[in-house]
Amino acid sequence: MKKILLYIFPLLLLQPVLAQVDRSTYPEPGPAPEIKLGDAAAFTLENGLKVFVVENRKLPRVAISLVLDRDPLLEKEKTGMLGLFGEMMMGGTSNRTKDELDEEVDFIGASLSASSTSLFASSLKKNQGKILELMTDVLYNPVFPEEELDKLKKQAISGLAASKDDPNSISGRLTSALNFGKDHPYGETQTEATINAVTVADIKNYYETYFKPNIAYLAIVGDISSEEAEGLLKEHFESWEKGDVPSHTYPVPAVPTQNKVALVDRPASVQTVVNITYPMEMSTNHPDFLTTRLLNYVLGGGASSRLFMNLREDKGFTYGAYSSIGSDKLVTSFSARASVNQTATDSAIHEFLYEIKKMVENGVTESELVAAKANLSGSFGRSLESPSTIASFAINTQRYGLPDDFYATYLQRLNAVTVEQVNAAAKKYLKPENMYITAVGNAKEIEDKLRTFGEVSRFTNMADPEREIDTSELNLSASEVLAAYLSAIGGEEAAEQIKTTKISMSAEVQGNKLNMITVQDSENQVMIQRMLMAGNEMSKTLLRDGKATVSAMGQSQTLPDEQFEYLKMSMYIVPELQYETMGYTISSDGVKDIDGETAYKVLITNPTGGEVANYYSTATGLKIRSEDSITGVTSYGRYEEFEGVLLPVQLSVESPMIPFPLNFEVDDLEVNITLTPEELN
Amino acid sequence: MKRNITLLIGIYLTSFWVQAQNAIDFREVTLDNGLHLIMHQDNSTPIVAVSVLYHVGSKNENPDRTGFAHFFEHLLFEGTENIGRGEYMNKIQAIGGTLNAFTSSDITYYYEIVPSNYLETALYMESERMLHPKIDQIGVDTQRDVIKEEKRQSYDNRPYGTILPETMKRAFSEHPYRWTPIGSMEDLDAARLDEFIAFHKSFYVPNNATLTIAGDIDYDQAEAWARAYFEEIPSGPDDFFRPDVTEPAKTTEIRDIIYDNIQIPAIIQAYNLPPKNHPDSYALEMLSTYLTGGNSSLMTKELVDKQQKALGVQAIPLDLEDGGVFIMYAITNMGVDPGELETEIDLLLKKVREEGISENEFQKLQNIIENDLVSKNSSMEGIAQNLAEAKVFYGGTNYVNEELDYFRKVKQEDLQRVANDYINLDGRVVLYYLPKPADSE
Repeated sequence: MKKILLYIFPLLLLQPVLAQVDRSTYPEPGPAPEIKLGDAAAFTLENGLKVFVVENRKLPRVAISLVLDRDPLLEKEKTGMLGLFGEMMMGGTSNRTKDELDEEVDFIGASLSASSTSLFASSLKKNQGKILELMTDVLYNPVFPEEELDKLKKQAISGLAASKDDPNSISGRLTSALNFGKDHPYGETQTEATINAVTVADIKNYYETYFKPNIAYLAIVGDISSEEAEGLLKEHFESWEKGDVPSHTYPVPAVPTQNKVALVDRPASVQTVVNITYPMEMSTNHPDFLTTRLLNYVLGGGASSRLFMNLREDKGFTYGAYSSIGSDKLVTSFSARASVNQTATDSAIHEFLYEIKKMVENGVTESELVAAKANLSGSFGRSLESPSTIASFAINTQRYGLPDDFYATYLQRLNAVTVEQVNAAAKKYLKPENMYITAVGNAKEIEDKLRTFGEVSRFTNMADPEREIDTSELNLSASEVLAAYLSAIGGEEAAEQIKTTKISMSAEVQGNKLNMITVQDSENQVMIQRMLMAGNEMSKTLLRDGKATVSAMGQSQTLPDEQFEYLKMSMYIVPELQYETMGYTISSDGVKDIDGETAYKVLITNPTGGEVANYYSTATGLKIRSEDSITGVTSYGRYEEFEGVLLPVQLSVESPMIPFPLNFEVDDLEVNITLTPEELN
Repeated sequence: MKRNITLLIGIYLTSFWVQAQNAIDFREVTLDNGLHLIMHQDNSTPIVAVSVLYHVGSKNENPDRTGFAHFFEHLLFEGTENIGRGEYMNKIQAIGGTLNAFTSSDITYYYEIVPSNYLETALYMESERMLHPKIDQIGVDTQRDVIKEEKRQSYDNRPYGTILPETMKRAFSEHPYRWTPIGSMEDLDAARLDEFIAFHKSFYVPNNATLTIAGDIDYDQAEAWARAYFEEIPSGPDDFFRPDVTEPAKTTEIRDIIYDNIQIPAIIQAYNLPPKNHPDSYALEMLSTYLTGGNSSLMTKELVDKQQKALGVQAIPLDLEDGGVFIMYAITNMGVDPGELETEIDLLLKKVREEGISENEFQKLQNIIENDLVSKNSSMEGIAQNLAEAKVFYGGTNYVNEELDYFRKVKQEDLQRVANDYINLDGRVVLYYLPKPADSE
């Protein structure tokens, strides 16, 4: 016994040496460090340009940013011009072509970029003179080349096409249009047409009107003293001529009178993008600015806020749920959003509404407010790590007319906000009865569930209201629709008399002519389709003897039977005549809106399961569209009569391989001619 | 004008490679339990970044239990024996800090940035989740749902979101790089609680971790706290599972079409790369900059500006510990057939292989790299991560100060050589992303 004690004794003695820490509670923090705001030297040039210099020698770099402070602009039929402007500005100067400019910027490893309200440049310290020379060349001497605009428009339209499939872009377009209205600078949507309407003259006019020093702020940050900066900037910016700049005002958008549910159908969606939102007024110089920052933080500003804790950590509905209250001189919005599990769409919205209402009714707790203050103070402190923060503080103070000590007293004022003030702000600014509840997702799965929250209005992916179709009078069966179609084109009998056709069509593709020549022989079950680009054959599709062969670029390939069966469905000039004999199943799939025209949708399924959807106008009976997974979407425009049968002479093809429609016009259409062996090969 | 440019270039040349970077000062020590501690002091802003790099990523997973490392990225926020469920994030944010984590094929990295008077708190919290995290059924079930939504949001519902997994599963047939960190939802569904616990025991141990502290600190105090909180954590067995698989060189091209919910076709080419710390990595990095870095780069100028066949083009050397992939990624412009764009990409690659790059272009690349390296260490968080990765991937923390030297060793002709050695047609992967036809599910 003694011996054991002896052994234990030294062990006990050793214990404190291991410096055992108390793991049961959090360690006490040290005294709060003083947060020092660096200074920005400020001066104004004679032309009105306000300059700020922030010296920070940590890294041998300098960054120069120029910001224009103008009112938001309504672009109307030219929406998208401002988005093209920055790249146009970088399109070359009277001293340098775009190639030379790009090369000179890259050569020194620098960066230089522009937008409709800014120019930004950064480089290593040793290249500061060079980058300023390039930046001011762009500022004073842009040439806005026509061909650059053509290129940018094309890119913008491609980008727009991509955004039509992106659920977040669709949601953004929808909420902006709802909150601000499509006739407001923040709610306008650009379309192919508005982008195409932009001219070089518009760009030049904008540049000449708004690029003036008297509405500009310039900040230079980094490895530079204010004396050095002053000399350098005077040299480069003093000659910039000032001028009058127009101002603009806009009506303030109102919140909806009651909750409104808006839905965009995106059939491919596996999640629903939910955004609950309404317009509001709030800006940095508003007396409730800090109070609303704290309010939003508790509700949904971060990963320990109520929305995140509820929808993600408790329910697992989403990867993240957040809210925001914007800040803007003109108008901004409240938004609460998440991408949620499709099956939980209604439950998730329910939780959003619950949290917003609860906040209005019960407000925040003292401990939540303390945590929110600590968090916002912390991010304020962290933001000071980047020297550009001091520059933006200086610019904001001027731009928003803030008191000079706004940022110096920021933390002090933040910490003085009380629970009562936040709760009053919750009642004043949260509008649980006046919100747009928006969803982008698979309507088939979620539309019914959304009705719990109010009447559902459907919108297109361009944020336009979907047209309502009154279907009460439209109740033809699938076979009646086909019969109506055959009678509309001239009757079954006449249609059956058409045995062969040869159709030549052409479309413009980037200035090149694309020809498509199709030869069909219904009796012998042959179809040949040739695509020619600028006269050269690019591809040939041949259907004969129960086989399909595709040749392109010297190689030819026989398609699998399944694909042949697919193509066979478009082998006939009037395939509707053949559906029955070929053993196809036809079924009706409701009434749809096809670019403003009401149409019956009929599904045709071949024996191997391949499916084609045809749309027949309810007004004329004519086929206006056909869709399948191989050829894509074919829309039929004008019809003309050939031997008593109406055939389409205007076609638009949206192939899965091509991101924009090919618009074909029929140049020549011959019916019941004798086809030569060449034509049949 | 042209003459002037050439003259200017001459002047820049002479000033090139002047030491532009201020060396990063640090102290480091390996504790008895194997934990490697790195510290960097910078008192200019009263914040400190604390990070733990665990040398475990998706490549250390069992092929039928993929997604585990990433699962832990989530699970280790759930709580510890002393920190209640959900409290971890709340606490860090409530002291004015921020936190996050990421998982790659090679590592899992956790970090928080806190006001510097809370350094001890951050160390306490990181040590808690290394010593005794709470891994229970509730946490597993919740995070499994969250991860499924993360996968839907970041991969399935996002246009082009599946590019990486689709590329990796073709670029690798043997090596575990064939799956990506998000892993398989079926595997996560099938995994039992004890499997998660076992995975933690084998990888999330001090001798597989690097603790980095960067910011407003006192070296001695920081080390004392790190020792106080971490030294008592027992080491794990040293036989970490690290795949010893040499990916067989592919001899034929793999070509596929993926139909996605997109409007504009994309082309992806992937070329297998040597291991991350291979000397050729520097030349490959420069090659990628030559191809698509900046408006004047070869492909951006030729394909986006001149021919206008591409909406955008990017070369991304995804360098991984055991050899990653060099990805060429291009989105077509309106009305351009992806085949047509790919032909042009291939022509430009061929040109580099056959002709190499000019002296002038090479100097430009050196200037760009110098600028990039200077900018790389502009935040405490960035410095912490660069220090930790230097130690783990490059064998020495001082690599952060030597990286420029490695780039300096690259010769102009090396770019042509690596283009021939790696960016060739043998066994590359080519994917076309095409729009899913209308009306199909």
